[in-house]
Parts: sequence; C-alpha cells; structure tokens
Amino acid sequence: MLLSRRDYLKAQAAAAAAAAAGVSLPASAGNLLTGEGAKLTWSKAPCRFCGTGCSVMVGVKDGNVVATHGDVKSEVNRGLNCVKGYFLSKIMYGEDRLTTPLLRMTNGKFDKEGEFTPITWDQAFDIMAEKWKEALKKKGPTSVGMFGSGQWTIYEGYAASKFMKAGLRSNNLDPNARHCMASAVMGFMRTFGMDEPMGCYDDMENADAFVLWGSNMAEMHPILWTRITDRRLSHPGCKVAVLSTFEHRSFDLADIGMVFTPGSDLAILNYIANHIIQTGKVDKDFVAKHCNFKRGRDDIGYGLRPEHPLEKKAKNADKATESDPISFEEFAAFVAPYTLDKAHELSGVPKNRLEALAALYADPKVKVMSLWTMGFNQHVRGVWANNLCYNIHLLTGKIAQPGNGPFSLTGQPSACGTAREVGTFSHRLPADMVVTNPEHRRHAEEIWKLPDGTIPEKPGYHAVLQDRMLKDGKLNAYWVQCNNNMQTAPNTAKETFPGYRNPENFIVVSDPYPTVTALAADLILPTAMWVEKEGGYGNAERRTQLWRQLVNAPDGARSDLWQIVEFSKRFTVEEVWPEELLAKKPELRGKTLFDVLYRNGQVDRFPLSDCAPEYENFEAKQFGFYLQKGLFEEYAAFGRGHGHDLADFEQYHVERGLRWPVVNGQETKWRYREGYDPYVKAGEGVRFYGNKDGKANVFALPYEPPAESPDADYPFWLSTGRVIEHWHSGSMTLRVPELRKAFPNAVAFMHPDDAKQLNVRRGQEVRVTSRRGEVRVRVETRGRNKPPRGLIFVPFFDHTVLINKVTLDATDPISKQTDYKKCAVKITPVSA
Amino acid sequence: MAITTAIRNAVAACWRVFARPSVHYSLGFLTLGGFVAGVLFWGGFNTALEASNTEAFCISCHEMRDNPYEELKQTIHFTNRSGVRASCPDCHVPHQWTDKIARKMQASKEVWGKIFGTIDTREKFLDKRRELAEHEWDRLKANNSLECRNCHSAESMDITKQNPRAVKMHETFLFTGEKTCIDCHKGIAHRLPDMHGIEPGWNASAVK
Amino acid sequence: MTSRILIAALVLTAAIPALLMGGVSGVVAADGKPGPALSGPVVSSGPHPITLDRPAEATNREIVDDVKRVRNYADQPPLIPHAVRDYQIDLNVNKCLTCHDRRNVEGSQAPMVSVTHFQDRDGQTLGTVSPRRYFCTQCHVPQTDAKPIVGNRFRDFDAVLSTAPAKEGAK
Repeated sequence: MLLSRRDYLKAQAAAAAAAAAGVSLPASAGNLLTGEGAKLTWSKAPCRFCGTGCSVMVGVKDGNVVATHGDVKSEVNRGLNCVKGYFLSKIMYGEDRLTTPLLRMTNGKFDKEGEFTPITWDQAFDIMAEKWKEALKKKGPTSVGMFGSGQWTIYEGYAASKFMKAGLRSNNLDPNARHCMASAVMGFMRTFGMDEPMGCYDDMENADAFVLWGSNMAEMHPILWTRITDRRLSHPGCKVAVLSTFEHRSFDLADIGMVFTPGSDLAILNYIANHIIQTGKVDKDFVAKHCNFKRGRDDIGYGLRPEHPLEKKAKNADKATESDPISFEEFAAFVAPYTLDKAHELSGVPKNRLEALAALYADPKVKVMSLWTMGFNQHVRGVWANNLCYNIHLLTGKIAQPGNGPFSLTGQPSACGTAREVGTFSHRLPADMVVTNPEHRRHAEEIWKLPDGTIPEKPGYHAVLQDRMLKDGKLNAYWVQCNNNMQTAPNTAKETFPGYRNPENFIVVSDPYPTVTALAADLILPTAMWVEKEGGYGNAERRTQLWRQLVNAPDGARSDLWQIVEFSKRFTVEEVWPEELLAKKPELRGKTLFDVLYRNGQVDRFPLSDCAPEYENFEAKQFGFYLQKGLFEEYAAFGRGHGHDLADFEQYHVERGLRWPVVNGQETKWRYREGYDPYVKAGEGVRFYGNKDGKANVFALPYEPPAESPDADYPFWLSTGRVIEHWHSGSMTLRVPELRKAFPNAVAFMHPDDAKQLNVRRGQEVRVTSRRGEVRVRVETRGRNKPPRGLIFVPFFDHTVLINKVTLDATDPISKQTDYKKCAVKITPVSA
Repeated sequence: MAITTAIRNAVAACWRVFARPSVHYSLGFLTLGGFVAGVLFWGGFNTALEASNTEAFCISCHEMRDNPYEELKQTIHFTNRSGVRASCPDCHVPHQWTDKIARKMQASKEVWGKIFGTIDTREKFLDKRRELAEHEWDRLKANNSLECRNCHSAESMDITKQNPRAVKMHETFLFTGEKTCIDCHKGIAHRLPDMHGIEPGWNASAVK
Repeated sequence: MTSRILIAALVLTAAIPALLMGGVSGVVAADGKPGPALSGPVVSSGPHPITLDRPAEATNREIVDDVKRVRNYADQPPLIPHAVRDYQIDLNVNKCLTCHDRRNVEGSQAPMVSVTHFQDRDGQTLGTVSPRRYFCTQCHVPQTDAKPIVGNRFRDFDAVLSTAPAKEGAK
C-alpha cells in the first residue's frame, strides 16, 4: 500500500486524463448485478444542513458514501429530503479537501505573512500551544478564544466548552449560532425562563392556520414546508399567512401575503395584541392563571461599538434586559396606540390584510402556529419580536397544545443540541445554566470534578465582540472551528478581517475545505466532516439524534473533537491555572488538561468494547476509550431531573431521535401542559416551570426604528439570506456540481422599476455599496424573490460576492445577534 | 308616459330643424364645414381611441398597474433576448377595426369597474381573476389566437431553433390546426387564476 | 509493479486515490514525520479575497436541451433539463404537473412523476400526487452551464465496485 509521491502524482494525472477523455467505467452494461455485490450498507444519520433535522439513510460501499435518501422511519421527514439533502453524498468529496495542517511559513519558520506550508499535526499543535501559552502568560485567559458552531456535534461542543471554560478558564467561547438564533434564546428566557419551543413539528399536522413571521420556509426549511403544504392543501379551511420584507417562494402558498417595511413587524405584533384586547378575545382565565405582565426598557441602542453616536444617544443601552412588573390594564394601555391605522402607516401593509391576520389569532376556534427564523432573530429588536409574538399566544391561551403555539425554527443542524443545550455561548453552561450564577458554576464544577472557582464568572466575548477584540488586539490566540465567519460575520472587511491579520494575533481555522476564513488564518487544520466521525445533533423541536462513523475521513483530516481533545494534552494544569485553584485539589497537580477534563474517570469510563463493532470510531481508538459515549453521559447528567432529560446513549442509536425531556424512555411533544409534559403535575393544567412562579411573562415593548435606514446617499434597503440550493456560506454545497450549476452565483434581486430607474437590467453588473464596503454583483429582476421598490436581496453563499463586506455590525442589544436584514446601500452600475 | 311624449316631441323638433333647407349659409360652406367638422371629429375620435390603445393609458389605472402589469414585468413578454416586448394592447386590443370597437365597448365595462371600485384591492382582483382570464381565453380561442399570431406566425417558425419538446407539440397540435396558441399557452404574461377543471391543451381528454 | 497495478486502478476510477479508501489507520497523528499525508491541494497564500475588488462572474446559460442526466444514485431527484422560467406553482396551479401528472403524460410525453410522489406521510398511496410533494423545486432543480468551482471525487456504486478488486489485488 506504499505509494511514492511521484507515483501518486502520475496516477492522478492519468486519472485526470482518463476522466477528460470521457473513459467510462467497465460496468456491466445490460446485466444486473445480483447477490451480495449489489448490496449497500445503509445507516441513519441526521442531515448535515439546516435545523429541521431530517434523518437521512446513508448508503456505503467499500468505504465510500455512494447514496443517500430520506429516512422513511423518521417522524421529521418521512422519506423526504430537499435538494441539498439529496446531494449529501457528494459534500465530502470536493477535490480540494484539506488533508494536512498548513502553516504560514517563511524559511521553515512561522511567519504571519508567509506562505501556507504543509506541516504535521505534531508541529501544528506545537506552534498552537506556544501561541496559546504566550497569550495566557501575557494577558491571561481573556486573551484566548474560540469560535465554534451550531454545526458542531454535541460531543464537540461539550468538549470545547470544558476545554475553554474549565481548562483554559476563558468564557471567550461563542458559536456562530449567535448570528442565527441568540434572539430566540433570549426571547424564550425572558418570557418562559427556559429555552426552546414548548411545541414540536406535530403542531403542523394539527394547526388550522400558519403564520410565517420573517421566515422563507419554502427555501430554508423545505421539509417542514412540505408538512405545512400537506396540511394547507388537505385540511379544509386551513390558512397560511406569510410576512416578509419582500415576496419569496413561501408566498406561493399564502392566503394572506404581506410585504412590510423593514422593522415594522414590531408594530404589527403590537397591533394584533391590541386587536385581541379591543375585541374582547383575551383568554382571561388563562392570562390570570399563567401570565405576568412586564414593561421592558426602551431606547436600548443597537449593539454597535460603545463610541458609536447611536450608542451614546441611547438612554438604556446598558439596561437593555431590565423590566418592571405592570398590570394587565397597563399593558392594554401600552398597546392601545397600535391601532390598525398606525400599523398600516408604519408597515405599508393594506389594512384588510392586517385585519385578516389579527382575526386568525383572535378567533378562539382557529388553532394557530406562528413560525419564524432569521426575520425575527436577525433583527436589532429580535428579542422583542420574539417576546411580542409570545404575547399574542399567551393573551389568547393558544400555546403548548397540539396545533397551537409559537415555534422558533433554527438554522443550523445543532443550534439547539449543541449551541443552546450544551451551552457553548459566552455566557452559558449546559442545561440553561449561566456562568454569572455562582450556583450554576458550582454545579458544573461539581459534575466536572473540578475545584470551586474554576469557571470564570464574567461572560466572555460574544461573536461580534470577538471580532472587535481581535481587531483591538485584546484577543490574541483564536481558534475557529466548523464555520466560515470571514464570509458570514457582519461588516467583515472593517471588523473581522483586520483582527485575523493583526500581527499580535495567531488565528487557527479548522475546516474540511479552504474557505475564505481558512485563507485568512495563520494555521489551517484539516477537518473530518459529517459521517466521517461519530456525532450527535439536536434539532429545532428538541429532538436529539446520534449517528455512527460510516466512512473514514481522508487520510490526514481529523474531527474537531479529536483536535480539541488532542490539543488539551499540550497543557498542564500548572500552566493554565493559578496556584490557589490548584491548592483546592492538589491531586490534579502535574496532570494535563486531557487528564483533568477527559480522562477524569467519567468521560473515559466506557471501554472501547462498548463501541458498535460494525462501525469504525477513529477518536475512540485514538484515545483508548469510548470518548463520545463518555462525553454524552457526563453531559446528560446536567439535564436529567431538571427538565432537560436525555435518554440513554444507546437508545438514540436505535430511535430516529427523541424529543427531550425524555422521562422513563418517553419523549415529550408539548411542554408545560399536563398530560404531555411529565414535569407538569396532575391538576396544574399548564405550568411554565422555567420561571419560579410557573407563569410566563407578557412584555410591553414598543416599536423602534432600525439602526440604519435608507437615506439620500444610500437609498436602498439591503437584506441578505439564503437560497434553497446552498447552505450558509456554500463551502459544502458549492462543491456539489449539481447544486453549483443550479444556482451558481449570488445575484441582487431587485424590483424591475428600480432597475429601470438605475438604467440597469437583469444580468448587468452593479456595485452594492454601504458606508462599510462594497461588492460587485449581477442584477436579477425576476425569479423566486420579488422585492418591493427600494429593497434588494443578496444571498451570502457565494465566496465571489462577499456581501458581508457591506452589512452593518449592529446587533440586538440583548441577544447580541446581528441584524443581517436591514442596512442602507446605494447601487451603481459597473460600466463595462 | 309624460317623459316619452316629451322625448318624442324633442326629436320631432330636431328633425324639423335638420330637414329644413339652410337660409343663412351657402351650400359650399356647409359642405366644406361639414367635411372639416367630420375630419376633426374623426381625427379626434381616432386620437382618443389610439391614446386609449397605449400601455400608458392601461396602467394609468392602479388596478392595472399593480396587478396584471406588475406581473407582466417578470415574464418573457416583457424582458427577453432582443428586447422586443409586448405591451398591453398588443395582446388585448384587436388590430382589426370592427373587433377593436367591439373590444372597446366591452372595455367600457372595465372603466365602469374602475369608477365604481369593483376591483379596488388585490384581493378583489384575485377573486375576479378566473372570470377575467376566461374572457380573454374565450376571445382568443374564438379568433384563433389572432393577437398571438400578429407576432408569432406559425408559417415563420423555424422549428430547428425550437427545443425538441416544443417541436413535437407544434407539429402535433399547431401546424395541424388542431389547437390554437391559447389552448396551451395560458398564463404566459400574467399569473394564472385557480385552474381547477381546466385541462392543458395537449391533454388527450381535452381533444373534443 | 505493484504501483503499476495501482496506477491502472486509479486510471479506471478517475477519482479519489486508493490511498484514501478503506480503513487506513496506520498513519496517525503525532508521528512527527512528514509523509504522503503532507500533500494536498495548493491553498492560496496571496492577497485575501476580501481585499479584492472582485468582478461579478458572468451569468451562466440555462441548460435546456431536454436530455436526461444519469443520476448519481437511484434516490437522487432527477434534474430538470428544460427551462422553467415563469413556471407557476402556487395555490392556483402547478405548471409542472400539467405535463408530468399521471393524467397528462400521454399528451405531453413527459416522464410521469415517480410513484413515491403519490404516497402521503404515512406511506398510503393516494389517487393523486401527494400535497407534501406539491412544490417540485424543493427537490428538482434546473441546471446552468456554470463550471464547478472544483472537481468532485464522488464515485457512484458502479465506480466503487469496479475498483474494489483492483484494490484487493494491490494489497
């Protein structure tokens, strides 16, 4: 099996020539292959893309993935996949898969301005350890950081959380899920005191009406859209309402379609609450028993740098999360000004449609499911939008029962499972705990068998702040895994890129492919992906799904999990912990972080023999124990008995996922309601047990304008987002030829009249310029997206159109999530 | 009864004035004057007619501008390779004079609808869409898709430039005269209404 | 000689090197020695894309030749080989079904939608296409003549099968 490099290159050249000449394979043209030879090994795995969590059957032959299809046994998708899901087989086989660490070097030495040069894993960890220790020594734990992902497996997120928060004692760990659903998280926490939806996808087979608040499910959650389509077309009287700042494919199923002025969704939400109150449709009994009313702070700023004029002007920028109790009457008075006229005036939506929408919610006989994704979450008032939507459901009591409920969809496959439940945010710990709470820290330290005071209490830098701190030279050793932030962060050219290239900083990027983020790094680590490793994801309906390693990664590529755990061997506790901490547990002296965090008698308690014999498990073999099971079971200890119960590890390998809390082997479909949720006692009916008093909070919050709106100099709104064919930054889907050819490049969707006024036409190149940066992109005046006049939509998947050079790094001040949907741009034709 | 009598009397009075020979004006003046007046009247009528035959006139009503015209902008009859585009009257106003006048009479109903707000919201337009579309399908079916053929002549089609599916369809249905354009090409310039019960033109069961 | 057989095998596959196939667990981390693992794609160290004023790529043409493409595997949804501009699929009408529905294929001579499309969520076969399959473009997409950004070494079942014996022989 030894092949010299020369032979290898020769072979590759010959292979390429054969391919170019169209030499076909000697397949048995007209004969059927029968018997064992024709068989594939089929195993389940959740889809690698969105937060829907479809189960996929993966067909393997001789160590290669040769086929995939939708899993008929899965409740989520019942045999269906979207076009991306159907092409999962090909995402791992892009020709430019990275197989060796690459360090920027000159003359055999690291040089920030040097050329990417292949090195061994050993050398890679050497330089990393050197840089990390240097930073820790100079400036302490706040100078090291990590940016992870809602695409990390549960094990990876958990291992990273332990490594950063306990091992290196830095809370500078945040996932790219911050850009995705942090507003949803804060919305849940503020209203219910507990994260994640009370309902589940089964609501889709039970609702009479669906309202999409800023979600193009037809393209972004296509399989859930099949369930809604099924219901709309087969359940008489079923209605679909779609709200967006531009018309898109989901409008094709809409009975009530509404294009509103960006940001005015807040006014529409308050109008509906007002309408419910004015028409006497409040479920008074429900509200009296289960709701508190609160008034939140207004004028809370826009999450920009503190010296920005908008932040200086905001009177409650530092008190954004505070609120005061009020009465129902005060709440009613607060929303009273949000009349039909006012909602119409602010939103531009015809009054008859606003009324029709309000009527759906107000009618006690109509079961309504509200759904949202980035339209609500990527919003400078995203947490408010979430809260205001809950208001409507709480006022009418339409919540936590089949067909009735607000449902926050997620964008990433494990935004819930990893980012939220494991708690890889800069302020969180597993099972909804937070670093700022001393009891929570102590509890985590206890489970982790670490001395009191290991976990720092101050929240670390969140996603946008990490970029700012890198640029400002305060964050110096930085590891990016499982995301492509140089393409997807806001205002990248001004706020992200400078930090990566700051000479004070050392940037490591782990990725299967040379993404634009990897190209901005100092060290690139080649990563194993999807079914090349054992993994676990948690989808938007609290469903946890595990999978086995089905094929081997390309030689040289290693999973993020292996990378984190292996790197932990490079630190002794003495190097990273102060003496007073060590003194509390002297038995840890002399040990490495690997010993302390992973070979701690818990994570390493399952022997190799527990691994499934028919599957490979690279990481387990490397470390000598069933690492994934150990991590899972230790992690599960956080949630069991606290409303976050997970089933046994092995059960997930049999089932197509289970929705937590899983108590006595039974999953929970509707939380907070007696009869469905084992945590609600008999006779309680409904109990929002996330809050101590068992009640949910209805928030009085106003309409406030976006951080930036079009003006004379920058007369257009810019909204960004996705297309069905590509997932996020396209690093996987653009490498599938069929998907690339289906939607090759990003375009600027624009109203034909705007194009006419600019004297440009479909296909013509324009510059889209904001106060921050510009890109060149071609005009599209037709097709799937139809913006109103004055707004353009540009997808962000395309590495040749880095639209986030243009976007604004304003965030929701509470959730710190970026608003990618609203900034001001001008458009100028590029003359040939 | 009194009203009819009054009208009858008025008509009779007019006739008497009209029938009586002129006392004040020469025959020449009257002939010439009549001719000039006729030219002015006819010219004015035609100018008005032509003005009402422009797209600008059609979309001066917001019902037209916001509904069918907005939809047209997406389609191949609005943007295409060579920039030759169809305007509203190209398809919706017959070129032959008698047909045109007939269509204009019909259109006055639309003006009525405009004045009295029959279709003043998108929802009302959508509710009426099937009916409105059926009028146009019927008209085009009856005149053998005349307004399509004003531009798309079957004789002038170079089928080697068409895609094989289109060739087959055209050979089977169009060149044989079995079908007319509108049978298959519905909704090519605007969105379609609810199509329940309407078979595609190529469907065997639709062949009567 | 061994390497020649290998080369032959690789020529046949026109794809991923045999080196990457099967359970190669011999090469592990921390071996410290640069080996064949140190080869890989050349990664640009030049000016970062974000710093460039990159022209928009040319618009690609749709592929409308009506030629069926080989599927990568049986369950792959077929690609659409014709133009679908302005194809309406909404509450009013599904333009695709006017040709591809069971009732219409005789007139249209288009391929009928697969039988799987008649099954509802519970696997029951319905009299018509299941509503859950209503929006065709969720799975079926047209193609343009855009060039792939890089090659893809995916090999279908037949390709994998035909190289398996060669791999065995080389061991």
